[in-house]
Amino acid sequence: MTRERKKHRLADSTKPNLLEGTFPYSLPPMIRLEGPVTEYIDGRAVEFDFAAVKDRNILISDTTFRDGQQARPPYTIDQMVHIYDLMSHLSGPNGVLRQTEFFLYTKNDRETLDRCRALGHKYPECTGWIRAYEGDFRLVKEASLKETGILTSSSDYHIFQKLKFRSRKECIEKYCRVVDAAFEAGVRPRCHLEDLTRADIEGFVLPFVDKLMEMSQQVPEELSVKIRLCDTMGFGISFPNAELPRSIPKLIYKLNRECGVPSDRLEWHGHNDFHKVHANAATAWLYGCDVVNTTLFGFGERTGNPPLEAAIFEYIALKGDLCGIDTLAVTELADYMRSIGLPIPDNYPFAGKSFNTTRAGIHADGLRQQEQIYNIFDTEKLLGKPPRVAITDKSGADGITHWVNEFFGLKGKDRINKIKIHRLARWVIDQYEEHGRLTAISDQELEQKTKELLPQYWEKHKPNN
Amino acid sequence: MATVEERIKAVTARILKLDPETIKSEHNFTADLGAESVQSIELVAMFEEEFGIEMDEDAALSVETVSKATEYITNVCKEQGVDLEK
Repeated sequence: MTRERKKHRLADSTKPNLLEGTFPYSLPPMIRLEGPVTEYIDGRAVEFDFAAVKDRNILISDTTFRDGQQARPPYTIDQMVHIYDLMSHLSGPNGVLRQTEFFLYTKNDRETLDRCRALGHKYPECTGWIRAYEGDFRLVKEASLKETGILTSSSDYHIFQKLKFRSRKECIEKYCRVVDAAFEAGVRPRCHLEDLTRADIEGFVLPFVDKLMEMSQQVPEELSVKIRLCDTMGFGISFPNAELPRSIPKLIYKLNRECGVPSDRLEWHGHNDFHKVHANAATAWLYGCDVVNTTLFGFGERTGNPPLEAAIFEYIALKGDLCGIDTLAVTELADYMRSIGLPIPDNYPFAGKSFNTTRAGIHADGLRQQEQIYNIFDTEKLLGKPPRVAITDKSGADGITHWVNEFFGLKGKDRINKIKIHRLARWVIDQYEEHGRLTAISDQELEQKTKELLPQYWEKHKPNN
Repeated sequence: MATVEERIKAVTARILKLDPETIKSEHNFTADLGAESVQSIELVAMFEEEFGIEMDEDAALSVETVSKATEYITNVCKEQGVDLEK
């Protein structure tokens, strides 16, 4: 790398430049992309135009009821119907959240699907998920679904060690028989290339996908095979010039341009085992995969999947527009999930109870002067959650009362008045006046003290989680 | 038996850490007796406990002097059927 020293002249100003083109506050910060990105593939420089994402029909899909549910006790039918209803609000009229998938194996699975469809929402569309067994296909037919995911594991870990195929050829033939069964029934198959980031790409995956593309040419466009790129163990790498099979850019290039799978038939499905899950999903969008598969609050097998709400805000940032998305539904979904026992950490972005709570006194002072200084965007408008300041000696009885009512979720005439919280207010004041405390009081401390000092309200209103 | 005003003065002295003998009927809780924000709500809470009554938050906190508090609490006791003679 050459060293290119350059002098930089101060652009002195008496007025702030708040970079509002990138940080509009009424929306999440824009992701502005320029210039081509180069990836070296098979010794050749290949350019990708990231800026084109603004005009591409990128979408989000969901697997909260499939992968998301594999990581927790089953939802009840009523819970899933309610979550589906809220997801439809989130998706909006343009169907940014385009599809969600359902198990089809039990009576409850099928009743859930029927009840969700009975709500009459256009989006998210309901799709299925089955193993690559021809016998399973009966379930798809009975459910009258237009599309189903099929587990077509792609690494030799799965092909030989889990599924016990004797050869790759035998494996491909089996998968193709199920795809044929889908075509015969008029159902679009979505092949889930399980464990793709640990697979032999040139030796198995590409020949298999070539075969699927050949088969797709024999059926109407609406039945042609979709490909889900499953980063089952979270091995995917987003940055340029990583090697296959871990390189997301190369995987997408190979499937998209060498095998000819159109972008709108490619879907990325990630896992968070190496803390890369959302960045990997966004990377897939940029390199030409139109759909990223997500779960609500990232809840899924082991470390989870790309969080749906993160993809929503990434989408808005890339497009520069809400595109009909009802972002307030994120908060409704978070509140609902908490109410049925799903643990969402307090500091979890966009949905945790304290995601926009400022603790440091100096930050709180900034917030008081102008909330944009320490708030990521207009969280009150987009999420119904104004920025908060953790409780200190400056909060006063009103601030503490506000905290208690918010903590218990009490509104209107149900709110507890400040006379009733006087013991908690006294404890807060004493922390500073008697004990010389200098830091803000955490929600955890206040929660504990609320339980101790306001037991009658705790018993009546204590939260589920 | 202590009067309503004497009981109010006793509670006020305990919360604000004052000598009850120094508290006068005309004293303003904030300006004369030095009640701060949290102490004001502690006073109302302790008056409720002392007399076994429930007071309206806004109305109670708008009472400024000891004599007005006596008048207000006496009325609330009557409304809520609390016998001050017992």
